[in-house]
Amino acid sequence: MRQTMSATPHDGDPRDLLPRDEPVRLIDETGVAHADDRYPMPADDLLGRAYRGLVEGRRINDQANALVRQGRLAVYPSSHGQEACQIAASLVLGAQDWLFPTYRDSVAVIARGVSPADAMVLLKGDWHSGYDPHEHGVAPQTTPLATQLLHAVGFAQAAKHRGEDTVVLAMCGDGSTSEGDFHEALNFAAVFQVPVVFFVQNNQFAISVPLSRQTAAPSLAHKAIGYGMPGQRVDGNDVAALLAVLGEAVDRARAGGGPTLVEAHTYRMQAHTNADDDTRYRERAEVQAWVAKDPLTRLRAHLTARGLLDEAHEQELADGAETIAAALRAALNIDTDLDPEDLFRFVRSTRSPQLQEQWHQLRDELERADTVAEGGTR
Amino acid sequence: MTIAHDGVREDAGSAEVRMTPTVQTMTMATALNRALADAIEADPDVVVFGEDVGALGGVFRITDGLTERYGEDRCFDTPLAESGIVGTAVGMAMNGMRPVVELQFDAFALPAFDQVVSHVAKLGNRTRGALRMPMVIRIPTGGGIGGVEHHCDSSEAYYAHTPGLTVVCPSTPQDAYSLLRAAIASADPVIFLEPKKLYWTKGEVDTSIVAEIGSARIAREGTDVTLLSYGSSVASCLEAAEIAAAEGRSVQVIDVRTLTPIDDATITAAVRATGRAVVVAEAPGYASVASEIQSRVFERCFEFLEAPVRKVTGFDTPFAPPKFEHWYLPDADRVLDAIDTLHWLDEHGEES
Amino acid sequence: MTLRDASETAVRDASAGAAAATKVFRLPDLGEGLTEAGLVQWLVQVGDTIRTDQPIAEVETAKSVVELPSPYAGVVVALHGEPGETIDVGAPVLEVADPDAPAARFLSERSAVRRILSERSETKGDALAQDPTKDAVVPASGGDVEDAAGAPAAAPTADGVEKEAYRAEERAGSGSGNVLIGYGTAESAGSGRRRARRTAGHPLGSLSEDAAQPRPRRNAAPEEIPARGQGGPAGRPSPSEPAPAPVVERAKRDETQHPAESPTPAPVRGPIAVRSPLVRRLARDLGVDVRCITPTGSDGAVTRADVLRAAVDQAVDRMSLRTIRSPANASGAHSPALSLAGRDTPSAPAGIGVSRPVSSESVDGLAVFARERMSPLRKAASARLTRSRSEIPEATVWVDVDVTELWTLRAAMAPEGGRAPSLTALVARFVLIALAEHPLLASRLSDDASEILLFDGVNLGVAADTARGLLVPVIPRAHELTVDGLDAALRELAATARAGSMPPERLRGSTFTLNNYGGLGVDGSAAIINHPDVAILGIGRMIERPWVVDGAIVARRIAQLSLVFDHRVCDGGHAASFLRRVRELLEHPARAFGRVR
Repeated sequence: MRQTMSATPHDGDPRDLLPRDEPVRLIDETGVAHADDRYPMPADDLLGRAYRGLVEGRRINDQANALVRQGRLAVYPSSHGQEACQIAASLVLGAQDWLFPTYRDSVAVIARGVSPADAMVLLKGDWHSGYDPHEHGVAPQTTPLATQLLHAVGFAQAAKHRGEDTVVLAMCGDGSTSEGDFHEALNFAAVFQVPVVFFVQNNQFAISVPLSRQTAAPSLAHKAIGYGMPGQRVDGNDVAALLAVLGEAVDRARAGGGPTLVEAHTYRMQAHTNADDDTRYRERAEVQAWVAKDPLTRLRAHLTARGLLDEAHEQELADGAETIAAALRAALNIDTDLDPEDLFRFVRSTRSPQLQEQWHQLRDELERADTVAEGGTR
Repeated sequence: MTIAHDGVREDAGSAEVRMTPTVQTMTMATALNRALADAIEADPDVVVFGEDVGALGGVFRITDGLTERYGEDRCFDTPLAESGIVGTAVGMAMNGMRPVVELQFDAFALPAFDQVVSHVAKLGNRTRGALRMPMVIRIPTGGGIGGVEHHCDSSEAYYAHTPGLTVVCPSTPQDAYSLLRAAIASADPVIFLEPKKLYWTKGEVDTSIVAEIGSARIAREGTDVTLLSYGSSVASCLEAAEIAAAEGRSVQVIDVRTLTPIDDATITAAVRATGRAVVVAEAPGYASVASEIQSRVFERCFEFLEAPVRKVTGFDTPFAPPKFEHWYLPDADRVLDAIDTLHWLDEHGEES
Repeated sequence: MTLRDASETAVRDASAGAAAATKVFRLPDLGEGLTEAGLVQWLVQVGDTIRTDQPIAEVETAKSVVELPSPYAGVVVALHGEPGETIDVGAPVLEVADPDAPAARFLSERSAVRRILSERSETKGDALAQDPTKDAVVPASGGDVEDAAGAPAAAPTADGVEKEAYRAEERAGSGSGNVLIGYGTAESAGSGRRRARRTAGHPLGSLSEDAAQPRPRRNAAPEEIPARGQGGPAGRPSPSEPAPAPVVERAKRDETQHPAESPTPAPVRGPIAVRSPLVRRLARDLGVDVRCITPTGSDGAVTRADVLRAAVDQAVDRMSLRTIRSPANASGAHSPALSLAGRDTPSAPAGIGVSRPVSSESVDGLAVFARERMSPLRKAASARLTRSRSEIPEATVWVDVDVTELWTLRAAMAPEGGRAPSLTALVARFVLIALAEHPLLASRLSDDASEILLFDGVNLGVAADTARGLLVPVIPRAHELTVDGLDAALRELAATARAGSMPPERLRGSTFTLNNYGGLGVDGSAAIINHPDVAILGIGRMIERPWVVDGAIVARRIAQLSLVFDHRVCDGGHAASFLRRVRELLEHPARAFGRVR
């Protein structure tokens, strides 16, 4: 019988598990390409799709920010500046694969096919999650850190148990790597050789706490060897390198080679959320320095230099992004009709007598509610 | 609730469903083992895992022989990581499996508490039913075996307090079998608390009986007072009832079985008929499930009560060391003491 | 003003300037409860074409400098304010025109604003916080990335911001504004209930099907169980009614308590729903069986009022049962009643001898059920009473007396370890004092009624209601006795009369009679003078009545004195004077102490 749940120890030179001394980079800040022995430059069409994704992702990030300031979203943890990670994470996966995002990965969620309006339901406050995970293979976004890594492992374990082709990409940040669940997830994944790619978006900050306070390791990718899985580090603003490295990890997992840890070095260009004041813990100069490394800039330069991108095409992309943004605005300007009974509908698969009693209590309250004539002092 | 059982679908409109009877006397441990085996055979999506459940068969032998019989694909050991066990179970459930995990002791379930409360309990609600969590977390619970610290705790209150969880605690081998089968078949996550003190008690088990989660069981009929209890305290109640009968008092004993969602209907009807109630449970009384039951009985039966609803529980101290245990645990005498305070003489017009 | 207000006025302005389709962006509440903000710099110029959400200005709040994104796209036609100036919340910031906008687009914009206005959630509104976070380094939305390539212009304001920022809780207003994880708290608005009161009872513990019908008794046979709505006021089957219909089938269970699966069978025995333990105790104390009460509580519970009504019904029923049960209740079966000390045992008609039940005799349509022979004592008394009434022209005068003080004082008269003198003894003493001042009322007429014999004292007759009949034993020379002496004499008299051993000679020689019928439970009497006395004084119940004292109505203990006197020996004035004196002594007993020996 199939031994899918048994442990397979890693054989081969353990040093192969260590990441490179320098992050993998294929396109530098100025847009110049650098060849790599192991990681080939992605095909042109893939780069083109990636660039579109970056443009749209950037537009979504900034639109969502504005919507918070206009009171249409409760909060938005932006991935502004990290769009390369977001887009690459989505592009390397197939339709049968699954993405396990964090609360900052809304752009990746949307890139996987979830509509922007649905993706924003959580942050708008209409419900805890706005999409059916099965539809696009995207797990719900939640606030607890690293807990979803274990879910990803279990999910992959089940897929392997049934002999399915699924690869799971589990995303987390640098802060999450300090959580116990990060450790347990990588351990389980390696022991059971499950098809998971652990993608750490190291944007240097966990709210206000810098990376130096999260780890003393040479890099987060170095943690992989401790679990017996390979680790790799990548320039997180280079979508080409990300596609290459993540792509290889996904292929390896799909072929039964087990999990990989990929660390992307990037930077959180904005504050933790709109309600965070990042002047209290970092210098403007540091933030400014990363502007030059913006993922859109370099890819635009590269594609333009190679004649793969011209102004007309740029405009078309910008228009497309604007359409998405407008649709998002329109969707969030609608006040959804909320049904109070939803509080009780989904807690259990069949409603308990107690919940039914409590629904009746709420319903009675609603029937007795005054319609307030004055709209308050607003 | 319709339950698929041995390929036959029966409408479980009544609490018990009879098919081809298979009746045997066995220990509760064996009953649980049998339930796991039968569930594995009945449903290919069922998978059992935890620490030491494979080759060892579990520290209490509950999973004895499962790996041998069904292979590591169906019953396997995990690294020593409770959060990992429950977290990966969540992922498996997301992907259509029915994990039945074992956490070795009450206290050791605590590292998994975040996964249980944040995700096991909430994912169904979070995704509006798109992702249900049809999983069972088995935890040996309670004291009475002279165990050292951390091995005798009762943690049902934490789970019962968490909306979205079902909490079940059997007190007989029959209920252990039937309720575990029902828990595994349930579409919702179940915390299955197994009173370790009762693992070696014997009883008749009819494997064709399918129990209904959310239903209490009348363990003994009586007319004068209702004892409400669960787990290993049920035996103390039955013992107290026996003694009380010799003293001329008719005591009814109800085994609550499902702590949430609780069987309000049966409990309410019972106490309205007797007019007196005592809740008995081993866990520390403050902010406990016993308190909740007591409060519900007050609310729903107040006009029928001849006396206050009493509560007999463990003290509000960390569980006692082995040598202190006998002072700590509620026993039949403590139950009888509580029954004595229920304003009996008042019924004849005299002050009690 | 809030964003909502801003939008409102924007709509008004927009509709007013419909022809030009100019939209005015007014400064919203930046979520910190401030009423104004400082304009730091404009990011656009008049004539610029701007996109929606494009930052058009930087304003300074207490916390930091923030960008204002324009809610409108179009051409900037006006900017309001100079850098360094203050803009009030609600004041216009800039105006945007969209001259080539089709009407439909304008209307759709307007309706989008209307939707913002119809927000239902309280958490929106004032909690729409402007982002206090500085974001200066981020390029303008729309991805104008070239600016970032080295333009320092966006950065400078950061250095000017004070490091010492306000904390959210220090600002004005009661809401928190936007918080790290959500919309934050809203401004509190208004007070008082926001929902109408509930009219039905508490949804839990519904007793409907359990207690709405009268409950069967424990172990009751089915035929004893009254059907709902039948039975008497107390719902109990009375022996005289025919056997009622069997119990009504148990009502359908309320679905909130018993969803879906099998209903639990209804208990047919056990406690009845009663409003509270206190009511249950009350029922027990009153001897009422709650199982026999039809509950009137809105939730089907027996209430305190139900218990009290049932208690009254029960007592009435008991009384009438007792009456019905003993038609021949006079057969000497009662203990001799003695009115001396005011005992209240109902007295049987006295002096009735053996009764012979008679069959078949009837007089005037009424069947005679017994014939009873008059005893010798009764015959003798009849003769005297008849003579008294036929010979003596008597008249009656009566008065109410406030004996509250006497009542209170009497208790204080008890010697240590002993009892206080009886009321009759006290009354007798005062009467004797008054008689000393009015000797006519204790006199005798000569045989031919031509002379009045006045005495130097009083032999006091004391009327007694005994098993044998009315007796008036006499205390000779009562005027010489102290209160204690009178008390002892009266007790001796009562005991002797009770024993039935009163010798005839002690029944003669009275010169005045005192008749205390308060013990019989009545107030006044036009008594028959005990011939050959010339007067008899009666005193009735001493009970609390509403009385006026110093202009206020208070409860006082009142008794009625009735003096029946022979009008031949004195007239009404004299009788009244005597009565007045007695009243005075009874009402202010302390004054008599000087006279009491």
